Amino acid sequence: MLPGLVLFAAFRLYPLLDGLRLSFTNARLGRAQYAFVGFANYEKLLEDTRFHVSLVNTAFYAAASTLPILAIPLALAIGLNRGIALRTFLRGAFFFPFTLSVVTVGLTWLWLLDPVVGPFNYYLRALGIPARSWLADPATAMWAIIMTSVWWVTGYYLVIYLAGLQDIPRELYEAAALDGASGWRSFWSVTVPLLRPVFLFVFVTHVIGSFQIFGQVFILTQGGPGDATRTVVQHLYETAFQNFFQFGSASAMAWVLFAVILIFSLFQFRLLRGHTQY
Amino acid sequence: MRSRQGVLGALMVVAAVLWLLPAVWVLVTSLKPTANIIRVPPEWIPWPATLAHYVEVLFSSSRTARIGRAFLNSTVVSVGAVILVVFTSALAAYPLARMRFPGRDLIFVILVGSLMIPNAVVLVPQYILTQQLGWLSTYQGLIVPEAAMTFAFGVFLLRQFFLTLPTELEDAARIDGASPWHIFTRIVLPLSQPVLGALSIFAFRSAWNDFLWPLIAVNKPEMFPLPVALALLRSAYSSESYGPIMAGATLSAIPLLVVFLLANRRIIEGVRVGGLKS
Repeated sequence: MLPGLVLFAAFRLYPLLDGLRLSFTNARLGRAQYAFVGFANYEKLLEDTRFHVSLVNTAFYAAASTLPILAIPLALAIGLNRGIALRTFLRGAFFFPFTLSVVTVGLTWLWLLDPVVGPFNYYLRALGIPARSWLADPATAMWAIIMTSVWWVTGYYLVIYLAGLQDIPRELYEAAALDGASGWRSFWSVTVPLLRPVFLFVFVTHVIGSFQIFGQVFILTQGGPGDATRTVVQHLYETAFQNFFQFGSASAMAWVLFAVILIFSLFQFRLLRGHTQY
Repeated sequence: MRSRQGVLGALMVVAAVLWLLPAVWVLVTSLKPTANIIRVPPEWIPWPATLAHYVEVLFSSSRTARIGRAFLNSTVVSVGAVILVVFTSALAAYPLARMRFPGRDLIFVILVGSLMIPNAVVLVPQYILTQQLGWLSTYQGLIVPEAAMTFAFGVFLLRQFFLTLPTELEDAARIDGASPWHIFTRIVLPLSQPVLGALSIFAFRSAWNDFLWPLIAVNKPEMFPLPVALALLRSAYSSESYGPIMAGATLSAIPLLVVFLLANRRIIEGVRVGGLKS
């Protein structure tokens, strides 16, 4: 088992701890000598308004995309779970975007949303909705990114929901029908409660992923217009590798991000444990 | 009842077709001559069709021609990462599932806990480490970190599978005097083909599609993998370059599409079993 553990220790554990150490230094790209500066990097983050903006944007993205990510794959999974023909093909169609890289997905939507010649605006205009530059308008740019992400990952969560739905015993629906429950009623009193662990799994996975959003933003808006779609990982990337090459400061950001994600996942794992007995 | 089923089926087919339209639009665009690409209203049948954009990105000497080389780079890196992950995680998972030794449970807990480490958090230290090894812009500088990202998940997946294998076969072989290594390679691995296949697909997908790490770890254009090469084409982006970009995007989607068509069931199973990580 040794080769794997060496790989793991050198390229996962060591970088994690080294990042913590770097966050207390003034390391830069190419600077051989650097000094410990205590909490200076973290104090700077308290004043870094662009970092605050990116935290707020990232939280907004995570929150605003949660409902579509919980609801759309569920609705599709319920539709597919009724034993309709072509099920495998349909599931494959929804899953397909998830096999693409974030870059391919981003380029696809960049082209669809092109303000002048993109088909998205063309068909909206045909429906009587005025054309606009979705990605260049601060009011809509983040929503366009959310739409892109939903298209990308829906197939993945659809498969998770389908597995959850198949674990619900048929008898429960039959019993509900015998008691005179409508389809809607049995959805709320059978499906939803029994899917609770699946909802929590989808929710946690999605939030943890959302806090790391980078590729969509990099391709579609590069954080713009202004800083309207700037996210934490993008800010970290630019701080470390594009503008300033400040490794110390970027490492501090990384650990703030890690702390947020960790608190979230620990909290949700407790919830998950508390609620799975029924 | 039957007609309601039919309506639902038809609705799902419409939803699936709409869901695939963005991808179809990419393919259609890639086959059009440049002058036809930006025509409004959008033309969904690429006629006259041309492969000029594919020839350009694969063979010409212009800047868009990095796609052909990038395709090769991505193939080398992804195949290398798959081999390394499958090899190392199988070797680590077997003792964790079958042998007793001090620290076994601790190692497993650390590995599972590490699944919560976001890639963005180890970005800077991993860059410094790769630089110190002299691995920037090399294949090993991409393969080894990509493998390290998937290793813990691979161990988790394989250990769970090994635990479900009946021990009788291994016991019988041991009584016949077979060495542990012999048992592992001749009995356990052949029985594990399905899960090894699922892990290979997972590792291939994550290496083929990763964007953030190669974006910083490679700074020689001839070493770019596909997502980076495509993303940088975007900076040269104008309506002129939609053709080559969409041809590159289509090419980048093909390997996983093929894998997906061949192993649809297995991928879905993999997502379900390993729902832990996306």
